[in-house]
Amino acid sequence: MLSLTPKIDPTIQSLLDDRDFLGELLDALGSPLGLILPQRATRNVHTFRETYRRHRLTGRLYYAHKANRSSAILRELAAGDAGVDVASLGELQHALSAGFTPGRIVATGPKNREFLWLAARAGVTVSVDSADELAELAGIVAGHRLPRVPVSLRLSGFASAGVRVLTRRSRFGTPAGDLADLLDLLEKRADQVELTGVAYHLDTIGLPEKAVALESCLTALDECRARGLRPRSLDIGGGFGVNYLADGAEWERWTSELGQAVLGRRPPLTWEGHGYGLRAEGGTLRGNLALYPAYRPVAGAAYLDRLLGTPAPERGRPLGELLLDHMYDLDVEPGRALLDQCGLVVARVIASDNDRIRLDLNARDVSLEEHGVQMDPVVIARTGDRRPGPAGVHLLGNLCLEADLITRRKVFLPVVPRPGDLLAFVNTAGYFMDFSATNALHQPVARKVAVYRSGGVRRWCLDEQYWPVHPRQETP
Amino acid sequence: MRHDDITDAIGNTPLVRIDPAVHGLRNIDLYAKLELLNPFGSVKDRAAWQMARPLLAGAPADATLVELSSGNTAKALALLAGMHGLPFKSVTNRMKVPEIKELLLLLGAEIDELPGQSECLDPTDADDPLTQMYRQVSAEDGEFLHTDQYFNERNVEAHLHGTGPEIIKDLDGRAPDYFIACVGTAGSSTGVARALRQHDPDVEVIGLVGAKSDFIPGIRTIDEVQQVGLFDPGVYDAVETITSDDAIDGLLTLVRRCGILTGPTGGGAFVGAVRVLRTLDPLLTSRKTAVFIVCDRVESYLSYVRDRRPEVFGRPPRRNSTRTLTDAEVAAAPALDARAAQCWIASTNALVVDLRSPYAFQALHIPGSLNIVDEVFADLLHAGLPISRHRPVLLVCPVGEKSARYAALLRRMGHPDVQSLAGGVIAWRDAGLELVR
Repeated sequence: MLSLTPKIDPTIQSLLDDRDFLGELLDALGSPLGLILPQRATRNVHTFRETYRRHRLTGRLYYAHKANRSSAILRELAAGDAGVDVASLGELQHALSAGFTPGRIVATGPKNREFLWLAARAGVTVSVDSADELAELAGIVAGHRLPRVPVSLRLSGFASAGVRVLTRRSRFGTPAGDLADLLDLLEKRADQVELTGVAYHLDTIGLPEKAVALESCLTALDECRARGLRPRSLDIGGGFGVNYLADGAEWERWTSELGQAVLGRRPPLTWEGHGYGLRAEGGTLRGNLALYPAYRPVAGAAYLDRLLGTPAPERGRPLGELLLDHMYDLDVEPGRALLDQCGLVVARVIASDNDRIRLDLNARDVSLEEHGVQMDPVVIARTGDRRPGPAGVHLLGNLCLEADLITRRKVFLPVVPRPGDLLAFVNTAGYFMDFSATNALHQPVARKVAVYRSGGVRRWCLDEQYWPVHPRQETP
Repeated sequence: MRHDDITDAIGNTPLVRIDPAVHGLRNIDLYAKLELLNPFGSVKDRAAWQMARPLLAGAPADATLVELSSGNTAKALALLAGMHGLPFKSVTNRMKVPEIKELLLLLGAEIDELPGQSECLDPTDADDPLTQMYRQVSAEDGEFLHTDQYFNERNVEAHLHGTGPEIIKDLDGRAPDYFIACVGTAGSSTGVARALRQHDPDVEVIGLVGAKSDFIPGIRTIDEVQQVGLFDPGVYDAVETITSDDAIDGLLTLVRRCGILTGPTGGGAFVGAVRVLRTLDPLLTSRKTAVFIVCDRVESYLSYVRDRRPEVFGRPPRRNSTRTLTDAEVAAAPALDARAAQCWIASTNALVVDLRSPYAFQALHIPGSLNIVDEVFADLLHAGLPISRHRPVLLVCPVGEKSARYAALLRRMGHPDVQSLAGGVIAWRDAGLELVR
């Protein structure tokens, strides 16, 4: 049995154990259903803050809004000390309405004029990706007689000396080599924009690439200082990761077996023998495993800790110490890592036919496949006995499309679910819950429910009804 | 022995018997094939020369030799390319040993490190970095000479015609009963196995691979060998797993007890060999022979061993180290807050020592201060006080923690008037006091 047992926090486990509670919620609100644990996000912020404290660093933790549309999470975070990174006009409106003050918001990503205007009007920091964008923002500020807007400059394409560390090309950021031109422009538009710092974002889990980028940004900040500018912060983006699995050995065994299956040395482990990027060529395994490294011993705040302890490639000193020496604020933009153990998606089993389990949810409702995350769902049996497993099953979705498999992996479950049972995909609040959920084929998008504790009792409400103002909190 | 060319010195390495008191086997003679004595330092000299020779012979003047290698193959190829006046470029995604990187740079190699895995899975990312590298190498006609060690049959041939027959010759015309080798490109294990079996089909061949989440330089894990074109599971009677711990155990035994300056791969081969042979040894009724390969030398792996086994480098505690301070001493360290410190400097003409990195110091510091980065300051203190007792000193670091420790230490060392800046240069800045470039 090739299980990929998910890592489950005690809070989520107690929810899973409360079958009646989950059953009633699904009966009332339909399948699929998204459950959000907003208070857990606050705990994740605290974990990151611990790492900050260990390195004696200050700075802003910006939650990357794109990870989840939940209002409950956003409002809960607004009640604490985190900031938010917004990547669209809608997200900016949402953040403002959730209680984030402009000083705690940074606008990133592709920006249209409306987004730039509202950002400038509200006075949020704009993370600028190009000279054109900087000019457009300055134009809007001048044209509408707005106060100076704080900007940080997002850089990319960092060069490394000695060993050349290659990085995938990014759509975002100005090549680091063009910084001088960008600063010329910034100085020319000094009445409209004010530099707060520089930023980078690399889509990689590789520390060497990030070390090169971070050190290059320190050099860039020095260049800013040399021109008499007063930058205060370095924003290193996100990409700190989540560990989804309870057991590293299971992950190692499964990935080894997948290789063997692709080479034809064992029966397929996937629908139609899909190789997840691996292929056999002349008896040799080629390609690259295109999956999220679901078991990650170092993820989230621990990854940040590791990065800050990594020696700078040129200057030799650990990156965290360099930041501290320079007295820069460290800003980060974790999305997924702040949502670790913050939620789950629950769906009802419609049919169970040999090795095929049909669910009242589709691949887009959890998008495990789209994001390459492999982990087993938890079976929540309603009443009665179940045929004991292990059973290798395929999980099929509710869309009238051949492609609608919840996962292409054959999933091994400890018991065979029956129609009416529930399957819970835990830890799918980050990215997976509604990154791509749609009303395709008139299938309903999952309703979202916030589950929280107040006055020592577990309570729930619809996500949009959640505010971090619990009646008992104010009672002395 | 006189040679016209260093490449003539490749091969003909000694086969040395391991003292039975070290391995403890009663019925098996264990021999080490000392590939570390090749001129460039490893077993890869043979394959590199065999693969590169035909490419270099007809190479255009603007060609670059290129290989996907994180170590010894790159080292040998860099030297061979240099002898022919050509550049060498190494592409790698697993170069984890810093000394080897530096050595390659010293040899004049260019190193490209491939990007890491992406955090958000990108469906537009059509191919893995390796495939992209292959495409680049093969697309530009004649510009790159790619030795392709994981798929090049000449890699195997180097050992089929060299290493294997040498072992038979040194065993007086007999093949060993057991041959144990670590599997990297699978070139040496496959080539030697083929030569030995041509001589005696009953030779037992054991391949050693790394544990999956472990890292032993030069060999591949059980999954990674599946990506090697030269790897054929049929070659091995058994494939066993070794760990980095095994590799270091073996390395230390061979170095300290046998006078063999092996790197971790040879160490791993020794431990793997003894482990396999120990189960067979008690059942044997006649004398048997076993051979393992010592791939390369220890010198390049000091940091590898240091990271995993710091106690190997155990030194007596150094004098005057902040580590010897008690909490009470640190708590009692004299400190001044930013404003008080400013007045004190003015009235006593104190020397301000800034312990931050020079880059940070150059960007912003307290006027008139001197920069001695903390690591250097620590080194100076081992030898004694580097500052006159007659001059008051203010120590400065980012938040006042390091400087407090050093202030406590200086005080213990007999400096009568030392202060630490409480809250550090950050507190100084936040108090609005002057900082200059």
